[in-house]
Amino acid sequence: MFVYEKKLQYPINIKTPNAKLAKVIMSQLGGPDGELGAALRYLNQRYTMPMPELKATLTDIGTEELNHIEMIGTILYQLTKNLTVEQIKAAGFDAYFVDHTLGVYPQSAGGVPFTTAYIASKGDAITDLHEDLAAEQKARTTYDNILRLADDPDVKDAIRFLREREVVHYQRFGENLRLLTDKLDERNFYAFNPEFDKACFKKKKGTQ
Amino acid sequence: MTKREALLKKLSTYQFAAHDLQLFLDTHPGDETTIEQMSRYLRLAEPLAEQYEEQYGSLTKRDDDGNNWNWIKAPWPWENGEDC
Repeated sequence: MFVYEKKLQYPINIKTPNAKLAKVIMSQLGGPDGELGAALRYLNQRYTMPMPELKATLTDIGTEELNHIEMIGTILYQLTKNLTVEQIKAAGFDAYFVDHTLGVYPQSAGGVPFTTAYIASKGDAITDLHEDLAAEQKARTTYDNILRLADDPDVKDAIRFLREREVVHYQRFGENLRLLTDKLDERNFYAFNPEFDKACFKKKKGTQ
Repeated sequence: MTKREALLKKLSTYQFAAHDLQLFLDTHPGDETTIEQMSRYLRLAEPLAEQYEEQYGSLTKRDDDGNNWNWIKAPWPWENGEDC
């Protein structure tokens, strides 16, 4: 189960509204490499994962991604609150405004609504961990791109924190992959699916 | 930064340090030095959480809020400036 704490993982206090910036940061909520997809990816993959270390990592990183959904939502809220219709029009935010007013809605910067087609849950630990490693790098690149487009220090501070988390998660997933392959037959990691063919795990010396 | 924000940031910093070490422990469960360090950060966060809740309202839902449901009071995490 999950318990809510009434605080952000990292503080956000944006003083200047900027609808133009909100339009691109939105992709990290509901875009192809966004935080919503990240949370769903890990929290769904974890059930069939072998090994306690992998189940723990996916549960804990998946939970952290829920914090990041909230952080991006907060950035979007603070960037768009109190906007006037003139500011909305000038920033090109009118296309979003007509459908959602200033409500926070998970979509990509290009306006494509969030879809679960952005995530995979293949039921094969090697395959899914590679998906997770790639997902963290794709999110890292998106944050790098946002940092190129943003000039508000309050926004950049929070985005830098989120970018750094992608790097840390990538590291943990890399360790997960190593822990897994250490338990498999080193002559052919791909002979079996470690989630489906449970007998593929190396027998410990001295056991049957 | 208001006094409330400063206290929350200090609390969040310790909690985050503990959280990051907990992720590390998921893949290094036998690392005693890290377990010790993680516990130290949690201990540092504890009194700050108490102080924050006493001064600014609940961080989690509990039944010991007295006659008033304090959960609905105090700012929500996404609020800032004139929202608060």
